[in-house]
Amino acid sequence: MSVIRDIPLSLKNREVLRREGFRGHSEIRPEIKRLILELLASVRNARLLEPAVAYEIHSITEMSPRQLSLEGNLVVHGHLLPSLLPKAKELAVVVCTIGPRLEKQVTDYFNRDEPLRGLLLDGIGSVAVDSLTQEVCKFMAGEASSRGYQVSSPINPGMPGLPITEQWRLLEMVPAREIGVSLTPLAIMSPRKSTSMVMGLGPQMTTWTGAEVCAHCSLRKTCPYRIPAQVEKRNKAKTGRG
Amino acid sequence: MAGDLVSTLADLKEKEALGIVQDRLSAGDDPLSILDDARRALEIVGKRFADSEYFIPDLVYSGEILKGITDMVKPKLAKAAEVKRLGKVVMGTVAGDIHDIGKDIVVFMLDVSGYEVYDLGVDVPAQKFVEKIKESGAPIVGLSGFLALAFDSMKETVEAIKAAGLRDKVKVMIGGGQMSEEIRKYTGADAYGKDAMAGVTLAQKWVGAK
Repeated sequence: MSVIRDIPLSLKNREVLRREGFRGHSEIRPEIKRLILELLASVRNARLLEPAVAYEIHSITEMSPRQLSLEGNLVVHGHLLPSLLPKAKELAVVVCTIGPRLEKQVTDYFNRDEPLRGLLLDGIGSVAVDSLTQEVCKFMAGEASSRGYQVSSPINPGMPGLPITEQWRLLEMVPAREIGVSLTPLAIMSPRKSTSMVMGLGPQMTTWTGAEVCAHCSLRKTCPYRIPAQVEKRNKAKTGRG
Repeated sequence: MAGDLVSTLADLKEKEALGIVQDRLSAGDDPLSILDDARRALEIVGKRFADSEYFIPDLVYSGEILKGITDMVKPKLAKAAEVKRLGKVVMGTVAGDIHDIGKDIVVFMLDVSGYEVYDLGVDVPAQKFVEKIKESGAPIVGLSGFLALAFDSMKETVEAIKAAGLRDKVKVMIGGGQMSEEIRKYTGADAYGKDAMAGVTLAQKWVGAK
């Protein structure tokens, strides 16, 4: 079983603002801009991020409409996987975290009556998890390529068709404890700034964008953090990412 | 002068707002009228937030400025005229859920808006809410939860309040990531607040504050 640490993360101001619910139609106050920059510097200086990834790639032995069977008598339930990954040969199971330090600092800010700092730092933590997920995707694309395969986009427990309780199984399939990740009795991850996902590896894998995931979510009309398709397109054009 | 403080604070000009408060205190102005103006400004901030002119950090920033003003004014208040709390609120993230940011922001905004808030923290068992309602006599309860997993905990908490014979003595609001009017009906709560300012507005409505 594999663990990766010391992963460089990209923390962009623009993404922090999106994670704070900024929709681009109001002005950003200079005080808030300054505070975000100050907090980004403090994240680096105080080493508040300890990104770590635990993963394992399993061969898929059988696919039925409601579950995937993996080598070693392992099973993942949920109709989302067979429908999104019909041609997958392998399933990458991934658990990743930015560690507990940032969220402890967020709690300290709230306890010290500095909620604005707490709120903004929490948003930075969410961006760090997003960036870590992107790094995982790049890494898995490399793994897939070395096998002559493609990789799908990530699928997270909690999406419709993959119950959040499946996290119990996923965490048992990777060295989650080694990176300090555990579950509460109702399957919420601790540290909170963690995520779990599965990705299909195979000859023809489908990919989708963050905006497409948002478009299928039950909160698509109300979620303040949703990614509108046009914004995603614009951002990709700016960064040159495909 | 009063207009200056209301508009300056509503525009989130921190230094200027604190300067106006200092000038008014030095001139012997009534500290309670300063606080009244500050809360009127917060209402404007709430409207701008509802209109998407302000976003969440702006809202919290306004709360921090208001807190700074309250800290300046408090020492000037005569004992008899201490800041009157508008009402008591018991708040917590329901059992099984450990998310706290949204709840912490609502607690902060209620506090700076003049409420006495009993923050029970996260993963709060239903019985703990019941005990705090009995002990404090709070007429408002706020149940927070981020995930769908919180729906049943909220329902169980409302049922525990009912079983303790307290349901007609309290108003219950719910809020958090996945909450909606539909979930409000499922849990048996009285109202759903979509954000921190909605929580403050509900509290104002329930205690009959202006």
